[in-house]
Amino acid sequence: MSGTEEKALVERCRQGEDEAWRELVDRFGQKIYSVAYHFTLKREEAEELAQEIFLKIFENLHRYDGGFPLVAWIVSVSRNLCIDRYRRRKREKSFRFVSDDAVAPMLRSQDDPAAEALRKERTKLLFAALAEIPEDLAEILVLRDLDGLAYEEIGQALALPDGTVKSRLFRARAEVSRKIRERHESGAGSTFASLAAAAVAFV
Amino acid sequence: MSCAELERLFVSGAPAEAARAHRAVCASCAALGADADRAEALVSGLRPPAASPELLAALAAIPAKTVTCEGADRLTAAALEGEISPRDRLRLDFHLSRCEACAQASSVLGTMRDLASPPPAPWLIGRLAADRPERRRSLWRFLASPKAAISLAYAAAVVVMLAGFNPADLARKAGMGRIEETALASAQVAGRSLADRFGAFQEDALRKLAVWKGRAAGYGRAALSTAIQLVMKTEPQPPPRRGKTGEDKGLLQRGETEMWTWRA
Repeated sequence: MSGTEEKALVERCRQGEDEAWRELVDRFGQKIYSVAYHFTLKREEAEELAQEIFLKIFENLHRYDGGFPLVAWIVSVSRNLCIDRYRRRKREKSFRFVSDDAVAPMLRSQDDPAAEALRKERTKLLFAALAEIPEDLAEILVLRDLDGLAYEEIGQALALPDGTVKSRLFRARAEVSRKIRERHESGAGSTFASLAAAAVAFV
Repeated sequence: MSCAELERLFVSGAPAEAARAHRAVCASCAALGADADRAEALVSGLRPPAASPELLAALAAIPAKTVTCEGADRLTAAALEGEISPRDRLRLDFHLSRCEACAQASSVLGTMRDLASPPPAPWLIGRLAADRPERRRSLWRFLASPKAAISLAYAAAVVVMLAGFNPADLARKAGMGRIEETALASAQVAGRSLADRFGAFQEDALRKLAVWKGRAAGYGRAALSTAIQLVMKTEPQPPPRRGKTGEDKGLLQRGETEMWTWRA
């Protein structure tokens, strides 16, 4: 959808066309739920946050001027709301103690239960490592690799040049991997022994 | 420690072959690249969590729950006129409970009606009262005005002269009633104008009088205050006595330093 079409869609929503709003929800509902889920790692909280985000988007449709892609604007609104409602400390806490239920919706079902258990442990390791790296790096990795946004969309949503987005993504991946390796190396006797055991298989 | 070349290649979007070639010759970048590859592989195996149909339905129903900020402006205006449906009232209230800016705008508009109008100047009240009904009936006002009477009189005289009569003779025969009416109306106009000007002059004079009255009161208060200060001025205290015998002999008492200075 081109920029003009996106602007027209927003304009129709502003005029009160229910059909246009449904189209907007169809296009971005899944993505915004994904952003909210990766921020909270809890289904109920993610659903509540997604509703809050869409309420905010609907009430502020007049602020969208078509200057950049609609998805970037929506992600920008979502991010601000996520930061407002779930401060770093809370997120860090929720990421450090990731449950099996929290990672289950992100895993593709596999026939082999052992392989599925291993993937669960790896995913928990990933989120534990994300909580330990700087926020600006973790944010880019989540938006790019988990939420599937393009570099340009991330740059526009966060008001960053593409080069900075790529640079941070590269460093985020390296940092996450380093954190997981460190956990493995100091795993014996630590409280993360079970996670480190899975890291053996990963590293 | 990485040489940062691998990151530069990644940021510039260089082909994978270039990155592989560099990793083959740079040990630090080889380790870093391996880390990044592992993380990418770990993340790429995940899928976004699926939103439930109930959530998507709830998102689609948002327009029935609230209004946009622009819509809130319209509904607030309608609510002030008492022309808002119960459903829209709920949507507006929901929006106002969440949007501080709109809530404030709505509150200000609501209180505007309660503001009292300032009373007009006394000399203006009579003029406004006199003008109001005449303004509504502008045609009748003109026909009844002295100007119209004079114009009609002139027009009638011209017609009469064109018809070959002497208007002065006709006026003498008909009497002076009409001319007297015209003169009376003209005097009323002049009188009203004079009253307006006198009212404005009177108000100006009252204002100046109030200013001078305030100044005189200020000077009076200042004079009174100075007089009170003069009357209440404290007399200089004599120096405290110091015992010539006993324990205090030769010791300075409290406040005595100042008195010694005064003596010197």
